[in-house]
Amino acid sequence: MGDTILKLDKVTKVYPNGTVANRDINMEFEKGEIHSIVGENGAGKSTLMKMIFGIEAPSSGTITYKGEERHFASSMDAIKVGIGMVHQHFMLIPSFSVVDNIVLGDETTKGIFIDQKEAVRKTQELSDKYNFELDVTAKVSTLSVAKRQKVEILKTLYRNAELIILDEPTSVLTPQETEKLFDQLRQFKAQGHTILFISHKLDEVKKISDRISVIRNGVSKGTYRNEDLTMEQLTNLIIGRDLENDMDEYKTHKDFNNEKALVVRNLFMEHNDKPVLDDVSFAVKRGEILGVAGVEGNGQIDLVKCISGLQKIKYSGSIEISGDDVTQFNVKKRRDVGMAYIPEDRMNDGIAGELPISDNLISSYFERQDINNKLFMDGKAIQELSNDLIDKFAVKTDSAETSVNSLSGGNIQKVVVAREWNTSPNLMIAEQPTHGIDIGSAEFVHHRLIDLRNEGTGILLVSADLNEVMDLSDRIIVMFNGKIAAYFKDANNVTEQELGMYMLGAKAQTKEEIGGALND
Amino acid sequence: MTDKSSKYSKNYKLSITNPKIFEALKLVISILIGLALTFVILCFVSKDPFNAFITILTGPLKKTRYIGSVIESFIPYAFAGLAAGVLFKSGAFNLGAEGIFIISGVAIAAVAVADITSSFILHPFICILVGALVGGVLMCIPSLLKAKFNTNEMVVSLMLNSIYSAVSVYIVRTYMRDVGSLIATKEYAASARIGYLYEPLRINICLVILLICMVILSVVLKKTRLGYQIRLVGTNPQFSEYSGINSFKLSITTALISGVLCGIGAACHLLSQTAQYQPDKTLSGIGFSGMLLAMLGHNNPIGIVIASFFIKYLEEGTKVLYFVDTSVPSEIVSIVEGVIILLISSQYFLRGFRERKLLKEGLEKDGK
Repeated sequence: MGDTILKLDKVTKVYPNGTVANRDINMEFEKGEIHSIVGENGAGKSTLMKMIFGIEAPSSGTITYKGEERHFASSMDAIKVGIGMVHQHFMLIPSFSVVDNIVLGDETTKGIFIDQKEAVRKTQELSDKYNFELDVTAKVSTLSVAKRQKVEILKTLYRNAELIILDEPTSVLTPQETEKLFDQLRQFKAQGHTILFISHKLDEVKKISDRISVIRNGVSKGTYRNEDLTMEQLTNLIIGRDLENDMDEYKTHKDFNNEKALVVRNLFMEHNDKPVLDDVSFAVKRGEILGVAGVEGNGQIDLVKCISGLQKIKYSGSIEISGDDVTQFNVKKRRDVGMAYIPEDRMNDGIAGELPISDNLISSYFERQDINNKLFMDGKAIQELSNDLIDKFAVKTDSAETSVNSLSGGNIQKVVVAREWNTSPNLMIAEQPTHGIDIGSAEFVHHRLIDLRNEGTGILLVSADLNEVMDLSDRIIVMFNGKIAAYFKDANNVTEQELGMYMLGAKAQTKEEIGGALND
Repeated sequence: MTDKSSKYSKNYKLSITNPKIFEALKLVISILIGLALTFVILCFVSKDPFNAFITILTGPLKKTRYIGSVIESFIPYAFAGLAAGVLFKSGAFNLGAEGIFIISGVAIAAVAVADITSSFILHPFICILVGALVGGVLMCIPSLLKAKFNTNEMVVSLMLNSIYSAVSVYIVRTYMRDVGSLIATKEYAASARIGYLYEPLRINICLVILLICMVILSVVLKKTRLGYQIRLVGTNPQFSEYSGINSFKLSITTALISGVLCGIGAACHLLSQTAQYQPDKTLSGIGFSGMLLAMLGHNNPIGIVIASFFIKYLEEGTKVLYFVDTSVPSEIVSIVEGVIILLISSQYFLRGFRERKLLKEGLEKDGK
């Protein structure tokens, strides 16, 4: 292989809240290779990339790029020397055209004006050179997610990036789109670019990488040639133990007389004259998990908002929670009839970060009798309840008085789940319940959800993670363009490829088939 | 599980990495820097900076009259601070205390000049009640407008400040003006005045009311469901909505509490320290000072009362100094106050120090 292009020497990063994200990381990247960095969510991959890209400064250690020690003050410095990064969440301006997004900050000018023609020409040329099949004059808001990602990649190429960091690029793509991306990456490699590929999907990593570096708990577990590692070895390196994966064994099957925890009928909603929800009807029975699969942005968020009572936009249709028509109810009334909700955006919706863990463990039921006296809240009861939940949910903390935002993502999510679990809900809405948390915590959360299911709670699981939906669900619906595109009565009889077809809109079921979501 | 209630409760380290200790340390260092800066300025303006500095710090203690003056004058400021503190704690950017003080002053004065009762207890009591009522109701307007028309609380409350003070001047000039040149009401009825409980230290019933309000507020914020909701909304309004809290009802409640405190503060000031009300003079500046004091006291009721006393004490100190050394301007206190608030509210002040400490601790803990 070629020369070393990037070298990390004893790189360490400690965040102000005391979290050690990376410790003494040594890694070398060679020119013209596809080098994957794998690890659980929260293992420290993203932080490491941020340091390479100049967004964060290392607390100690050195970064050497092209033989020179670098101290990037910002990402601008990194871009200048030829490092590009495609973030997990795109950094594009939707109302701008592709060209405008790409040249932004690095415009070709004619006098004091932007040379629009030249910009279009250069961008189109670049797009054609790499077979991106992009209309560069189109507005970004009209593009699909996969195309937006191409725009992001093009942006780095436009700035002559030799080293391109891709942070979880496949998390927003369908299996088919992922294939295409990989072809593209191989092409880049052939042209001498170095690719840093961040992912926690191991099959993809095995497929695309030349070499693989593993990070666990912020510490490097070594760099290996792809062909020297089996999947089992890789898993072991990442997790440090074997994972019991079969959720089906954990499930028990009791009969709850087909009672419904949630019934949604004919939900319609428009936003900016576009249909967001289009005749959505389904039911969640007690003691089952109904999975909602779909590429992000196909109406799932609005569907959950309608059910949870947080929807600000007018919608029509009816929603019943355990027999009560809650369509006109506010959040509190819906919670009173047994709704619980694990929100996707846990930092903004799920916690009050600066407040102690104990405050965050009671927010959904702070008026409940067991933690209140007549006039005052019962501090001692709250303390006991908090400690109990911290124990039960294995939240790693010294004290219930610690502010919740000093915990890791996985532990914060455990606080959220513990709180919602403790409402003994009839209906649990679990929206991306393990998004961005470590595997151990994710497994824990999954088990608690199945516990609830076994005891008779109806669970609506909305997730963009296909594996999660397939592993946990009893029944599955697929959303595409605000509609239910498919319904599967038995989650065990579906393949990833099949779901992918419906998620992309390549196939759709008939009305009768979909009707089962409500009537089965 | 042997003793659950204590298992995760008292596990504090006495270290700067504990956020509460960090805040306390920050406060102390801020005050020291503020005082040091005062000394530096004194070196420039005073012939005898060392003595001047000592006079500012200890002057008010020299005569009971001086300390009495501090005790009397800090009360309305403390009320203003408490009023602002409640609003800030709930995350509302309502800066309306200034206007509320002034307009509730009009209502208080109207009752105080009227010959409604000759009882020395009932008359002030009615005045305070009226002030609290007017203040409480009017303070709700920005929250109402925000809920109904999605207006910006800060803009509305600042505009209302101007409106209230103009309206106050208009009302007094047109309907309540005393014969004479000033824009002022007649003198209050003798029965409306608040007398001293202990004259040498100028302690009156207002101090008692203030301390009661402070304790009640403190308890409400810490121990009650209302206080819990205020904390939640103040820290993360989106989360409180998700939790099912009625944010409109809550914002009205907090505005009401805040306005009531303003009204009581205005009444205390008027009835104990003035004989007639001048709407363009008497109460101006108190509401705005209150916001600074709330920041200085970290929105904590007890902290706010202490902060108010501290600032008024320093002010008195410069006044005492002025008797012996006229070269020192009394505005020096404002400089100190400004510097301290700047340092306390700064997110970055001392942060590097704390982070280095955290880095070390983090490395030690994880280094196993």
